[in-house]
Amino acid sequence: MENIYKPYLAEIKEIIDETPDTKTFRLQIKDPEVAKNFNFKAGQFAEYGVFGDGESTFCIASSPTRPEMIECSFKVYGKVTQALRRLNEGDTIGFRGPYGNWFPLEEQKGKNVVFIAGGIGLAPVRCVIDNVLDWRKDYKDVTIIYGARSVGDLVYKYKLKEWKEMPDVKTVITVDPGGESDGWDGEVGFVPTIVEKIAPKAENTIAVICGPPVMIKFTMPVLKKLGFSDENIFTTLENRMKCGLGKCGRCNVGGVYVCKDGPVFNYAQLKELPDEF
Amino acid sequence: MGDEGFKMEEKIISKQNLLNLCNDIIADGHDLIAPGKTEYGVVRDTSQIVLDTSSKPTKASYKTFVFPKAEPVLYYKRGKNDVVILDAEPEQKKTVIIGAKPCDTNSFNILSKVFNWDYKDDFFNYRVKNFIVIGMMCGFSDKYCFCTSVGSSPVSDKGSDLFLIPVDAENYAVRIVTDKGKEFIDKYSKYLTEGNPEKSKEVADKVKQPEVAFDSQQVHDWLSKNFEHPKWEGIGDMCLSCAQCAFVCPVCHCFDIVDEDYGYTEGRRMKNWDGCQFGHFTLHASGHNPRDIQGKRYRQRINHKFKYYVDKFGEILCTGCGRCSRGCAVSIDIKEIVADCKD
Repeated sequence: MENIYKPYLAEIKEIIDETPDTKTFRLQIKDPEVAKNFNFKAGQFAEYGVFGDGESTFCIASSPTRPEMIECSFKVYGKVTQALRRLNEGDTIGFRGPYGNWFPLEEQKGKNVVFIAGGIGLAPVRCVIDNVLDWRKDYKDVTIIYGARSVGDLVYKYKLKEWKEMPDVKTVITVDPGGESDGWDGEVGFVPTIVEKIAPKAENTIAVICGPPVMIKFTMPVLKKLGFSDENIFTTLENRMKCGLGKCGRCNVGGVYVCKDGPVFNYAQLKELPDEF
Repeated sequence: MGDEGFKMEEKIISKQNLLNLCNDIIADGHDLIAPGKTEYGVVRDTSQIVLDTSSKPTKASYKTFVFPKAEPVLYYKRGKNDVVILDAEPEQKKTVIIGAKPCDTNSFNILSKVFNWDYKDDFFNYRVKNFIVIGMMCGFSDKYCFCTSVGSSPVSDKGSDLFLIPVDAENYAVRIVTDKGKEFIDKYSKYLTEGNPEKSKEVADKVKQPEVAFDSQQVHDWLSKNFEHPKWEGIGDMCLSCAQCAFVCPVCHCFDIVDEDYGYTEGRRMKNWDGCQFGHFTLHASGHNPRDIQGKRYRQRINHKFKYYVDKFGEILCTGCGRCSRGCAVSIDIKEIVADCKD
């Protein structure tokens, strides 16, 4: 019998403290055969489980072009993320995945790409960024706009530094007004304002956006004003999920199961769905 | 179930021989499930069986026998840094249900769509594979019944492997609906005599059919246009969010996955029934809830049954049994609500 609910076991190889309440795990699947054959695409997610506390859904934050480790980042919010926080390097967790669809990166080759992320919303975007950067010559201009509430809330600071140093990537980091600290050399302002200021051109460009609902709400009109069509704006949804397999019914919205038909949607698709996100 | 192109055969079994058959099924080591006074249950003794076409549907459907209320999907043992996972598997036991109402028999076919549309849920599949459904014509009808509004009828053999029709005071016609049913009943052929399909058809034709309350296509079209409608909030104000409607339903299938520790180092991962009427169902850890009020949750229930499932899987996620309405503490009647989904 095939048990679709049975996870692989994965070892926590490294834990990175991103912010006081956000951590990144670098994971390795324990079964060498499975680890060797494991592959996924940018945008897919997985179920990460602590035995005794349950499972939680996060995207795979690392890029499929860098398969050595599976990375995930999570903000400590609920029961499972609190249990995950208590774990140490060398501990074992459950891993089910990869699940869901992915960003259509192959189809978008030859285009400019604008990444817009806020807070922990950088996690699902980061795998796409690294994927695009590893295929850098296949894309034209690459712009990254990332914001957080304060300097302390910025995740992946080591990545931000790496991207900023790349000559062929335009990286703009911002913090909300009042969130700057001494020596901050980035922008100060909300993400929608910064997007308007940077004004990436919409022609032959796709936008990948992920962040808190309020950021998305105010960034969308800016992108529309800049001339982005709904078909060229992609996002990834974070509905509550349990099975990840299109069975348990939790992430059903309109005719879709976010876990199977998503989590990646473009805005034209989202407009067809009831407003239940 | 529902094998096409199968030439329908019909036999006769006397009431006494039907009980003998039940005794044999139990003696052969199979689980026999039958309607009792209020619930379907595994019977050890044929005196517990209530086989009466005019009996009221049981409080709950028998979906729990293929999709249990709570079932382990794995067991785990924790070491210092390590974990060992032990497999959980459904028991491979032939299970026979006898006297199932037509509003129950098609439930496995409907459920099978979601449990198999991509990933295959073998916990469900293994049980269904071992299941023989002996349906029975239904002579009961109350104000909550509406099987005829969702494409079924009190004499539908859809989903049954064998189907019983009482042809006179002493005998049932046994309609052999599927190959699986034929293979099963052949082992008990000593209890059967040749049947007369014309006679059973005559009986079936006379059965009182619940009045058709709505046109499901029209309901579907109305729902497509009325996601925002004041009626949802009105129903939400009445509803207690208790989800009994989901638990008694033959085809509601939402579930949760929950770990249960029993001791410091071991436990099991459970797949437990859940319900979309609970506020926590869609609640994010952040506190955000896309369906934050009951009206939105009831709207989801109706849309999932009469629109989304139809669009995705080609089946109405409702068998018209009326259990949800019969059991509702605040008298919400799904038939009335759906029939009112029109301009």
